[in-house]
Amino acid sequence: MDKKYKKQDFKTPEGYFDSFTDKMKQKLSGEEIHLPVKDGFRVPENYFENLNEKIVQKIDEKDTKVIKLRRYMKFYYAAASVAAILVLVFGLRSNQDEFTFEDLANSDLETFLENNDIGLSSYEIAEVISVEELEINDILENQINDENIMEYLDDTVDDVDELNIEFDEYEQ
Amino acid sequence: MISEETLVQQLKQKETQSQSFEVLINTYKERLYWHIRRIVLNHDDADDVLQNTFIKVFKNIEGFKGDSKLYSWMYRIATNEALTFLKSKSRKLGLSDVELQDRMIGNLEADVYFEGDEIQLKLQKAIAALPEKQKLVFNMKYFQELKYEEISEILETSVGGLKASYHLAVKKIEASLKES
Repeated sequence: MDKKYKKQDFKTPEGYFDSFTDKMKQKLSGEEIHLPVKDGFRVPENYFENLNEKIVQKIDEKDTKVIKLRRYMKFYYAAASVAAILVLVFGLRSNQDEFTFEDLANSDLETFLENNDIGLSSYEIAEVISVEELEINDILENQINDENIMEYLDDTVDDVDELNIEFDEYEQ
Repeated sequence: MISEETLVQQLKQKETQSQSFEVLINTYKERLYWHIRRIVLNHDDADDVLQNTFIKVFKNIEGFKGDSKLYSWMYRIATNEALTFLKSKSRKLGLSDVELQDRMIGNLEADVYFEGDEIQLKLQKAIAALPEKQKLVFNMKYFQELKYEEISEILETSVGGLKASYHLAVKKIEASLKES
């Protein structure tokens, strides 16, 4: 034993230092964490084989949807603004203090859109609201035609072109 | 094998676009899938996000300038899509990020496409508890065996920072597994 560390006053059990290294090794290996090499996830059978076709098909579908959606959103914003103004003007003139559910929905909708607080992407909105089935007049109390909307925008917006509205989209 | 540069050129040309897109999907579908799957955990969600990733790649390839490598650009899109998907999911369900992670791990136990044993489930729990960056780095380094230089290009972080994140992630995971 190294004389430097020899202590006269204390004793160790017989063979303590001889077996210490092995004991320590055993303890360390017992506590060592072996992370699993695999994560346990799997995919359905033939998933990757059929994936290409699904993606290409989805791209074609999205192409069609996007055109409809853009047209729809332009209507939606314009109509929501017009609806809110009409509700305000006619609502105040006729001294109607009571708000119907439809009035509330429109004003809420308008605020919602104006604050840009939707928190949903265009695709997510499209998933919730069926574009094909929705008519613009479904959300309006008063019937408004395209001409009214364009007139309103002409009067109130400095540069209609900035709205990127394609006039031919309205001519249907 | 076709070079990345040629593939990008072909993707930008109408005549060769659809054929080269097919090549692109075949080359990257599996690795992008596993990258996304380890973020969203569930197969159906991973499938949705992967498809959206390829759609984004296809729609935006015109704008790809080649400042970074194609694969790292695609990985970046996949990462963003997956993280955005989770944020949107937690908002829809009215859950915090932590609550959503807990629910995802809970669902994993009954997931038919998760065959992990007890230790693999614990590992997923430990990974889920990591901060976002450490989670990404751990998955990319440990399971996907990407090089630090590749991860650095994808996550736009220094190699030194990534090494520190990975080291911390491993320590936390080990500690978590020891505890449980």
